[in-house]
Amino acid sequence: MKPADKIKELINKSDVATSPDADQRILAEALKHLDKLKRNKLAPNQPNIWRIIMKSPITKLATAAVVMIACVIGLSLWRTTGSGIALADVLARVEQVKAFRYQFFRTTGEDPNKPYSSETRFTVLVSQEYGWKGKIEQLDPNSGWSTFGEIYTFADKKTKIIIWPKQKKYQRMELDDVFAELVWQNNPQDPRTNLKKILACKHESLGRSTIDGIEVEGFRTTDPNWLGNMKDKVEVDVKMWVDVKTRLPVRYDFTYAYFDQMGNKKERQHFVMHDFQWDVPVDAAEFKPVIPDDYTGMVVKYPAHITEETAIQGLKVWVELLGKYPDPQIITNMSIEDEGDLAPTVLRLAEKSETPAAMRLKEEIKGLTDDEINNKLVDFLMPIRGPGRFLDILEADKKDPEYYGKTVTPKDTDKVLMRWKVSDNEYRVIYGDLHAETVTPEKLAELEAALPK
Amino acid sequence: MEDKLLVIRCKRGSTEALGRIYEKYKTDMLVLAMALLNDKSAAEDVMHDVFLSFVLNIEKFSLTGSLKGYLLTCLANRARNLNRAKRQQSSESEPEEPVSYSSDGPRRAIMCNEQLQQLSNAMAQLPYDQREVIMLHFQAGMTFRAIGKSLGISANTAKSRYRYGLDKLRSIFDNEAKK
Repeated sequence: MKPADKIKELINKSDVATSPDADQRILAEALKHLDKLKRNKLAPNQPNIWRIIMKSPITKLATAAVVMIACVIGLSLWRTTGSGIALADVLARVEQVKAFRYQFFRTTGEDPNKPYSSETRFTVLVSQEYGWKGKIEQLDPNSGWSTFGEIYTFADKKTKIIIWPKQKKYQRMELDDVFAELVWQNNPQDPRTNLKKILACKHESLGRSTIDGIEVEGFRTTDPNWLGNMKDKVEVDVKMWVDVKTRLPVRYDFTYAYFDQMGNKKERQHFVMHDFQWDVPVDAAEFKPVIPDDYTGMVVKYPAHITEETAIQGLKVWVELLGKYPDPQIITNMSIEDEGDLAPTVLRLAEKSETPAAMRLKEEIKGLTDDEINNKLVDFLMPIRGPGRFLDILEADKKDPEYYGKTVTPKDTDKVLMRWKVSDNEYRVIYGDLHAETVTPEKLAELEAALPK
Repeated sequence: MEDKLLVIRCKRGSTEALGRIYEKYKTDMLVLAMALLNDKSAAEDVMHDVFLSFVLNIEKFSLTGSLKGYLLTCLANRARNLNRAKRQQSSESEPEEPVSYSSDGPRRAIMCNEQLQQLSNAMAQLPYDQREVIMLHFQAGMTFRAIGKSLGISANTAKSRYRYGLDKLRSIFDNEAKK
């Protein structure tokens, strides 16, 4: 056996048991700190020791002198480095803004040697008081831009409404606190999210330049962590320019390239956020979606409406489309991916499949505009989110879920595709052929031992 | 996905979420610590430090990659510092020789299975730089570029350390098989 295989085997089989005392010691100390943090958050502001000291006239004078000296030193350093903007200050400034507008372009392409194949534009209005509103348009080479959908997220972040005017359909999503926060924090179309991500990644200054007559300072990151935990090789190039005077973003430019395991470029995406208008006046009426009476709609309570049945239904649609179950990563990404991102992802996967459903889909969309394709996919996209959302909910409820879509196929009538804990003595199992049953933990252990490695 | 939820809940003060993170990653952390340090007490201490530091900084923490990767990288950094401190101690008192730890510390709070003991003993025979790269690659699933970045070396240097380490492991395993 090769040493690399031997090491992998040893790591896989390595196990370590900790004594309850050790766990208790570590956890108790950690929980104590967590509790302290919680209490600090809740505690009213206490008079600060520095505030007490500053009551003395002597310390006031001394502090003023120190501040002046620090300013002189700071100014000389600032002049020599040529960079005066700290990104943390930009974030603080952005978070002070009550309302702003911007545009967001996304272009995606499969073949790096061909022009981008899909272009989408979001026109967004954000208000701390009223919420988030985005109009999604798609570019058709023949007819120009046309509206694909509208998204509204209310200020409490817990209600999201998506309207598809051409389909005369809408969906109202009602999220619980935790999922609302999660979706909000991961919104890739929000400049605040992206600014926080740049701060969290290793970044550099691009120095000063001018955009549309505005003096700006640029920042850049090429840190692959930007895209989260990607297993495939990726290249990331993210740039952001900040107005030197206002300390507010002027433009973002993101380029991502994804590579397959052989190192070939398999997809690229390009995003631009621009045309920012900060501190704009807004009207509450702008954030109230107008849904005509003849539109049909559905309400999805998340997590309440996501069940075993919706998971099975979604898995069935996946199998019909791909002929196999999707990888766990695809399942989980789909669960929170934005509406505008879903259709290109599904089409990309379907492109490589030759199942009757995929062939039919490819035939049906032949010659259609992007806009028409998206309209066609609206009904299709809803169920495929089901399995990922179901897994999220099980995870959140600590139901010990697992999904084995990477190795289990639709023909595996006796192999565990998905499982979760129902009680201390019972697990629910969905098998490869999508029938489900409740089993004992012992039976589950047998089933999982028989899974392909 | 679950990790993001757990981190959000931790930030809100959920003790359950913190307990879940600990349970979920303690084995990974201890396996890495044992492979790097070959000392149960030191492994437990390092894990303890990393976990506490995670809690102390939870408010500012933003999960951009995997939580497992983050915790294991922190652990490797702590283990490296500990190793450096021990190396300095030993070089002050003795001529230069590979740093090795006793496999059992004064406390025996953790029990390793046979495979982990074998892994740990084999790794202890490698220079620390090599075992670190091998474990970060295999256990934390990091690319050589990411390892290089984390250790402040080039990806090629990380690859070389990995190759030299594997060569040495080959002869260690061969010798074991002959016995």
